[in-house]
Amino acid sequence: MEYEKCYVYEPEDHRPAKRRKVEPQGLHGSWNVRREAYETAWGTQEAQFNEKLGDLNANAIYKLTTFLDEATRDSNPSGIPAAILSTGPEGSSSTGVIDQLSREQNAQKRRVFIRISASTGTNLKALLKAIIQKATSRQDGIDDEDEEVTTQKRGVKLLNYDLQLLADYVSERQLEQVAIAVGDTEAFDSDLLSDLIESLGYWHDRIHIVLLLSVATSASSLQQRLSRAAVTCTKGQLFDVAPSDAQIEGVVETVITDSSITWPGADLMNLVLERQSDYIQSIDGLPLSLKYAHMSHYYANALTVFLIPDIKFADIPSDHFDALRNVDSFRQHCRHLLDNGQGSQVRDLLESNSVLFTLARHKIRELQTRLDGMMPVINLLYQIQGTLQGYSTLPTRYLSKLYKLAMSGRLTSDASLIRSMLLAIRKSQPEIIGFVFLVCSTGFIRDPYMSRFVTVRRDINRLIGQAAEENQELHSADHVQNSTLRTTIVAQKVELSKQKATLSKRDEAYTKLLRQFSDLLEEYFTASLIDPKAFPFHELVVYDLRSPYRETFTPRPRQAIERALAAPHDYLDCDCCAPDGADGNGEATLSASQPATAVLYQLYLESGSLINVSDLRQAFLAVLGDEGRSEDENIALFQRALAELKCLGFVKGTRKRVGHVAKVAWRGL
Amino acid sequence: MPKRRKTEEAVDEGNSTPRKTRRTAQNDSPAITPSDRKSILKGTPSRIVNGTSILGPTPKSPRKVLFSTPAEKAEKAEAAGEETPTATRNDRSARRKSARTLQESVVEEGEDEDDVGETALAQAILDEHGDVQEDIQDVVEDIADEIPVAAADTPSERGRGRPKGRTKRERTPSPPPDLPPHELYFFQNRAGANKTSANTLASNVLLNHEDYLSNINSHKDPHEQDIRRLADLHRRAFDQWSFELEEGFNLCLYGYGSKRDLVMDYASHIHHAASKPPQIVVVNGYAPGLTVRDILTTIARVVLPKTTKSPAMPNALLDLILSHLTAHPPRQPINLIIHSLDSPPLRKAPIPALLSRLASHPSINLIATVDTPNFALLWPPALLRQYNWLYHDATTFQPYKAEIDVVEEVSRLLGRAGRRIGGKDGVAFVLRSLPENARNLFRILVVEQLQAMADLAPDATLGGDADDDEDILGVSDDSDAAADTPSRRKPRRGRPAKKATPAKKVVSAPAVVEGIEYRTLYHKAVEEFVCSSELSFRTLLKEFHDHQMVESRKDAMGVERLFIPGMGRDELETLVEELV
Repeated sequence: MEYEKCYVYEPEDHRPAKRRKVEPQGLHGSWNVRREAYETAWGTQEAQFNEKLGDLNANAIYKLTTFLDEATRDSNPSGIPAAILSTGPEGSSSTGVIDQLSREQNAQKRRVFIRISASTGTNLKALLKAIIQKATSRQDGIDDEDEEVTTQKRGVKLLNYDLQLLADYVSERQLEQVAIAVGDTEAFDSDLLSDLIESLGYWHDRIHIVLLLSVATSASSLQQRLSRAAVTCTKGQLFDVAPSDAQIEGVVETVITDSSITWPGADLMNLVLERQSDYIQSIDGLPLSLKYAHMSHYYANALTVFLIPDIKFADIPSDHFDALRNVDSFRQHCRHLLDNGQGSQVRDLLESNSVLFTLARHKIRELQTRLDGMMPVINLLYQIQGTLQGYSTLPTRYLSKLYKLAMSGRLTSDASLIRSMLLAIRKSQPEIIGFVFLVCSTGFIRDPYMSRFVTVRRDINRLIGQAAEENQELHSADHVQNSTLRTTIVAQKVELSKQKATLSKRDEAYTKLLRQFSDLLEEYFTASLIDPKAFPFHELVVYDLRSPYRETFTPRPRQAIERALAAPHDYLDCDCCAPDGADGNGEATLSASQPATAVLYQLYLESGSLINVSDLRQAFLAVLGDEGRSEDENIALFQRALAELKCLGFVKGTRKRVGHVAKVAWRGL
Repeated sequence: MPKRRKTEEAVDEGNSTPRKTRRTAQNDSPAITPSDRKSILKGTPSRIVNGTSILGPTPKSPRKVLFSTPAEKAEKAEAAGEETPTATRNDRSARRKSARTLQESVVEEGEDEDDVGETALAQAILDEHGDVQEDIQDVVEDIADEIPVAAADTPSERGRGRPKGRTKRERTPSPPPDLPPHELYFFQNRAGANKTSANTLASNVLLNHEDYLSNINSHKDPHEQDIRRLADLHRRAFDQWSFELEEGFNLCLYGYGSKRDLVMDYASHIHHAASKPPQIVVVNGYAPGLTVRDILTTIARVVLPKTTKSPAMPNALLDLILSHLTAHPPRQPINLIIHSLDSPPLRKAPIPALLSRLASHPSINLIATVDTPNFALLWPPALLRQYNWLYHDATTFQPYKAEIDVVEEVSRLLGRAGRRIGGKDGVAFVLRSLPENARNLFRILVVEQLQAMADLAPDATLGGDADDDEDILGVSDDSDAAADTPSRRKPRRGRPAKKATPAKKVVSAPAVVEGIEYRTLYHKAVEEFVCSSELSFRTLLKEFHDHQMVESRKDAMGVERLFIPGMGRDELETLVEELV
């Protein structure tokens, strides 16, 4: 079958009776249970992601729909209404808005929505044909490329790229509008795009056409690329689709606000976001990344059975407990207990599965609750920062960064970030503090703090109210404006001295209350911000492994192949090709026992940009020696290795010298 | 390395004497470094650097005016290089930076000369303008050559010189450790003498199909067990792959070795694991002549009901398949296995777009293997989004048995026709089926061509010169043109050491008389009673033309010439033996 082009697979051995239905064994035995757990855990999150992504585009879609509707109403426009969507650099890949729009629009029958891209056609004819075909959505007849003539009801024969076809279709169905979305305007040949727009312009009085042009660069660059005639026959309007940063933040917000079972850790989040920005990715790549993280967590970690909310002790096989005892954080926990002289407890944990089960459930739930409590705090922090942003010199912060800091345990109440924020609060003017209160009233949820907050807010508001009545301004003693620097020259030295401006009693009270408030916030932060890594069994709740993620999403195929060929031992793990690692450097060296292609590749690495095949052959044979093989056999190996190198794209033929090949790939780049 | 150099510099800086010597060195041989550098950089052939000719009147390049105050310049260079490096460094391209790094290392190696070298260096760097298209190696070597020259000027003061016998730095194949990737590139890509021997590979050395197959089949891989173990490792991931496919991802397997067996094992695994086996469509991407239509019709056979008339255009067919899948989703997704998704037949423009659309459908699970190291460049982000890959390293070390036609690939790599039409074996095969007369005519042609080759003289065949070869083949490869430049440039540059020896001859050989004149061949054929009229002669030739065994071309005089393309001398000789 290997020489057929394509075929439907039929097993070679017809053994229907012998189904190899292998039951998973060992720790993998709980996979079916875990899989269900995965599906519920991810299912809820996925729904939230989708909703969030939908919301993110909602604004743009609403505007576009209004635009389309307005265009319908304008019965005799001076040009083709054109919506120019500036999508940012990932415009070509993030077609989310257009997708959603076309789904909504196609649902209603009075409008046709057509999407074309640069790959639709390379000339005007092909493009027009594609547009007509897509609009009239004929399943038949599109089949024949060279069928240029289409019969008409009225007996007129038309070419299949004649827009008259579209006009007939529109009048027949009484369609109000034909919306044409051009996906990647940058990829179009400028002349082609201009021609297309111009020819659509001629038909605009008969067909109501609307253009939706996505631009990744800017509207002005689009204008420059279009011909003057094309520009004059369009009536453009610019729309900003949600920028990718905002989208990412939105997705992260979903991770945070969602009360979930597991959380992605800081390292993983870092990788995910890095990939998002390094490889220009559309936003839906982000949920997929998180999905894969969930998948690998539940698939590869058998202990995730303990995460299932209603799991019974009896449901868990005993080997899972042994595995649980090997978890690092559990060992630390035991060490901690032993240090506190609670040896008997440790003994119980080690000997009794049920005790361990209870502890695990308890600790996991505790960590989950704490993390659940931490997320609103992160959000609150973010909100307060956003509020203070305009009034102070706080650096711009992203929710994703705050999340990463918090998950790595570095966002404690004495982190400089929080310090400066509290300081800003202490200094703040009454009107700003009002905004902060507004944010906080939704952010505080834990009770002891809630009631204290209400008191402080009431007091401060009262003060502000009083001050407003008397037309006075409230000042905080900590604000810079209220202290002046005095310079005095004493014995030819400048002395700086700080002098507080005289403050009214009310100001002092205000200052005091502000300090109370910031202390309250600090206390709240201290209580809520935790280092997840300090908790036992955090490995189960916080998924923070880079390993499967990095290789599956950002592979390094070139390195893999180069490594396989330069150091085959790394993969084969054979005795014969082990590097002379005795002296510790482990440098891979040529040896006759290595696979032929690897030998040839290493010879190839040592040569210059042109390689004499005859010499290469001699060197190859010299390396291979005679391991009980005939020379012909060695030559056969040589030929195979050379052919493989060629097919992998390492060498190519050259006409520069007879019998030479050119080196085209360099190692380690 | 740079650290050590810095301390040396510091010592020099502290001590005033070396600085002075440096300056005198500059003054004594004012324009040598700059003008010389300039001329190399511009590729002007007039260039002299030789220990002896320095003090004599230097043949000057017209550009010399530019460097009327070289001494100051040198100082500036120093200043720029050492005190306020940012301005100059910032706009320096990576290439020049690397040049600098390498230069520094060279200079350091010649410990004695390093502050002279330093000046030359700094100057070299400063004098390089934006249009410089120079290779590091050239710079390195040139500077290495210049260092002793400058040093030799002030032998008494310096009391140093190049130690005897160290005329040229040895080039080592292994790079200095810990070079960043771009440096590695320049290191490995350095031009310069690319010395390869004049040995040529006799065509009989390589095995033909039968010999190759018999030998490779009798070959027993000592690593068989390890390879099997590697495959077993991959097999353990089968369940994981299934899970990933079910979750809507597609799999892309990369790594060295044929992954065909592995994936077919996986196919049998999913076939046997399920109680109701899913549909599996296998595409051999490496098969020559594979079209997207083949793939789509195979899938359509599985997906669409038998009665459906499938459209001929791939696009329409794909639309039909997708809409049918959406309307009637199969109970189990269809597994589509594509071997060698990055193979040339599947790279062409509309195919990846179509396949990615297919793969993005939830009812299609795609398992693809890729072989080349740079496959990721095939897909723009929009396609990647549709493919939704998960990549797995599936290095198997298994030979590409089905994927590669080894004998054919090698002979094509070496520019030999091999068994293709027009190749030796192919020609012999065609000739066997032709009448006696035709065989005789071809023999005459072969003998004549051999004669012409012999007349053409030893150097064409011995040296195997590039241009001859190009003329014979009558094709100029664009991609080779780029690679051509270094060797073209080199002789013009003319190493100083090689000054005495004449620059390597690159002037193309006198117009090659190729093949045989049409008239001559006709007369010869008539003489040997191969044919009696020009009509029958033409009929015979037509047959050869049809099989691409003969090509005709008009030479400079407008005379039609016939020749056998794509065959070397030894191949022709064996052909004659077979024909006689």
